[in-house]
Amino acid sequence: MSTLGHFALFLALACAAWAATAAWLSTISKGKGLHRSAERGVLAACGLVALAVAALEYGFVTDDFSLDSVYHYSSVNQPLPYKIGALWGGQAGSLLLWAFILSSMSAIVVVTNRNKNRALMPWIVHVLAIVMTFFLVLTNFIASPFESGPLRADGVGLNPQLKNYWMMIHPPTLYLGYVGFTIPFAFGIAALVTRRTGDIWFRTTRRWTLFSWFFLGIGILMGSYWAYIELGWGGYWAWDPVENASLMPWLMGTAFLHSVMLQEKKGMMKVWNMTLIILTFCLAIFGTFLTRSGIISSVHSFATSDIGPAFAWFLGITFFGSLILLVLRLDDLKSEARMESVLSREASFLFNNMMLVGIAATVLLLTTFPLISEAATGRKVTMGPPIFNLVNIPWALFLLFLVGVGPLIAWRKATAENFRRNFLVPALVGVWSLVLFVVLEGRAAIDAARGIFRSIFAANFGGVFDSLKTFYPPLCFALAGFVFATVVLEFFRGVRARHHQYGEAPFVALGRLVWRNKRRWGGYVVHVGFVVVCIGVAASSAYRKETVEMIAPKGTIKIDGYAMTYDGYRLEAIDDYVAAVTELTVWQDGRFVARLEAEQRWHPNMLFPELREAFLRTKALRGGDPAAYTASIQGLYALIGRLEGQAGREVKTPSTEVAIHKSFSLAAPQRFAEDFYVTPLGVDPFTGQANFRVFVNPMVNFLWFGGFVLVFGASLCVFPDARERKRLEASMAIDDREAA
Amino acid sequence: MIAGQAYEQAATALLCDCGCHPQSIKECACGRAEELRVALAKDVAAGRSGDEIIAAYVARYGQKVLVAPPATGFNLVAWTGPAIGLLGAAVMITLMIRRWHRLSAALPAETVPPSSAMDEAYLARLRHDVEESR
Repeated sequence: MSTLGHFALFLALACAAWAATAAWLSTISKGKGLHRSAERGVLAACGLVALAVAALEYGFVTDDFSLDSVYHYSSVNQPLPYKIGALWGGQAGSLLLWAFILSSMSAIVVVTNRNKNRALMPWIVHVLAIVMTFFLVLTNFIASPFESGPLRADGVGLNPQLKNYWMMIHPPTLYLGYVGFTIPFAFGIAALVTRRTGDIWFRTTRRWTLFSWFFLGIGILMGSYWAYIELGWGGYWAWDPVENASLMPWLMGTAFLHSVMLQEKKGMMKVWNMTLIILTFCLAIFGTFLTRSGIISSVHSFATSDIGPAFAWFLGITFFGSLILLVLRLDDLKSEARMESVLSREASFLFNNMMLVGIAATVLLLTTFPLISEAATGRKVTMGPPIFNLVNIPWALFLLFLVGVGPLIAWRKATAENFRRNFLVPALVGVWSLVLFVVLEGRAAIDAARGIFRSIFAANFGGVFDSLKTFYPPLCFALAGFVFATVVLEFFRGVRARHHQYGEAPFVALGRLVWRNKRRWGGYVVHVGFVVVCIGVAASSAYRKETVEMIAPKGTIKIDGYAMTYDGYRLEAIDDYVAAVTELTVWQDGRFVARLEAEQRWHPNMLFPELREAFLRTKALRGGDPAAYTASIQGLYALIGRLEGQAGREVKTPSTEVAIHKSFSLAAPQRFAEDFYVTPLGVDPFTGQANFRVFVNPMVNFLWFGGFVLVFGASLCVFPDARERKRLEASMAIDDREAA
Repeated sequence: MIAGQAYEQAATALLCDCGCHPQSIKECACGRAEELRVALAKDVAAGRSGDEIIAAYVARYGQKVLVAPPATGFNLVAWTGPAIGLLGAAVMITLMIRRWHRLSAALPAETVPPSSAMDEAYLARLRHDVEESR
């Protein structure tokens, strides 16, 4: 099977390379044959890569440990879903997945455009095939997933932290986003080359862009959720280079989605939009590169190797090549309208772009700063969360403000009437939230204000920022209230208008309103989702409580109105790990709320024959005599301790299963959406003495809930829309006439 | 209480060297952080202040043991760059809009040659705008 995969992958490379060449040749010669041949090349490459993926999956499922990638990321005891998911656990497999998703998307583009966009298509196929060729060269010659070694009985297995369902679907989701941006990029480049720089390229790819943005966003959220429930530090975002790598193209994509509306409606910002899509694509490639090359150290780069130079070349050529092309075509990208006022919808789009690109640029600067610093001063530095939070929060707050202003401010030049009509009520809601905070948290507000003045007089700028932190969450809530009110007001007016005009009942009116212009109203829903996410982030990071305590069984930990009793523990040997499972009872404000189990797991390294044998023997005792089973596990713990004293290499990989009680009960409304979160840092298998880290994360579930709202809104936007189709057809008709 | 503060200060400023997320010794959840916490507690028990402990770590391992580099020298690029960029961009955009506005005021409408294709596109947009504002 692996020979078949090897072969399929090589043929796929040949097909992709041919498609790139033939597509280019077809733009020079007149015949249609070459172009058809190029398109068939793309389809064939897609089929062949799919075959390679199937062959590799076959290797994983049938435990073919002679394959290096199976040996490194799978093992006999690994449950089947994780065997399947182990394909993208390593670098070569991930790159293969990238190539597979890209070739599938390219095939879809070829099929759906077989009778459309004929002038653009050769160049689109050319660009897509080149990107495909690059990834196929990587998977064929530099990081082949079909590399094989000696016959082996068992594998190393997937990193235990990756064994989580969210982690299994997170990379493919993220890749759908990364890869998807190739399509609008290819259309943009084709538009530049052919000088057909009207609105067809982005209208045709509107849904591709949204789709990529959507999956990248969900992928990021899934990754955060995984970090939250798996890594055990009580948070969900650590500004890890790899997290940043996925955030940057997402921010750029968001900027592009917004800025392109200005081109659609006003014919403005043409150069900027091209720049944005080029940057988005480059950042997507850069993201893959960061994740997979390990150039900046990060736990996430679960795979590292020597694909760095190849990526750097590809990225450099793509970036500079696209920019040169853009500069050569500046004459075709003249704006059709002019800005008239700083207080206008047009200007708010500019500021929105400024913030999004600014945040992306900041993240890029800080992520790569260790490299920059080393090159400039020879000094190694670390960029941890504090600096990211410090510089990004003010930007994010301003962005939140713009989310409220942007959609409602008048085009061209806003009048006082426009402001009163759209913003008076929302502004009052915002101010009211702020006042409410000062009333409820007066002490904190006064202390913080004092702190700011004191720091200013002491010329201590760090102190100013520290004191400002107190104001960020209330500011965030006030802005959230403001934005939310603008959207509610807009929905209310729309429904009322339909109600008056057609006499529809409110709910019918709401449904029809949204359905008739899914894109606009879906956009509002996305904005609401963003607001909810912001609330969750602000509240959970600002008002989080934490304690670390060592207790024996029957002991109790108290924190912020919660009491947690450590009832006892039991030892288990399951799948490929031994675990100390702690049994906990949680009371919230004196009321019993939950029984929880939190685990500390050790995954013994099965490559020690002694350990492997002892583990399998212990596992067989499960379900029999409990005393013998427990004693046997304690023996395993002792054995691991002994081996660790002797062996130089890793004997075990620890992981934790956190316990979370989510509070949604109406009995405690003030704790709505709050998490009680327990991580066992260490459990003594003999005495049960345990070191617990306990967090209370208020409103953290708003983050995930906001994610769902985002998904719903974005789905509305992606839905096929008759109006959008008509607009696209009209543009195409105009374009064809101009060409003729 | 002073000892507690010293521990807190050192644990939040120093990086856990486990190679996981770039996280402080206080926050990191790995086994290595646990060992480092014990080491820090010992330093504090020996009567050393937070600043002393941090300085000792930096002297031994360099600035990379800090969760974030101190805001001095070249590091200022990272600390202040984004804020300067933000201000610069805001000023630039405002000036740009002003300039465009002046240009469009100075430019009589007739200089743009009317073309039928433009008209159609413009009309389509106009119709759309009217529809949207309704």
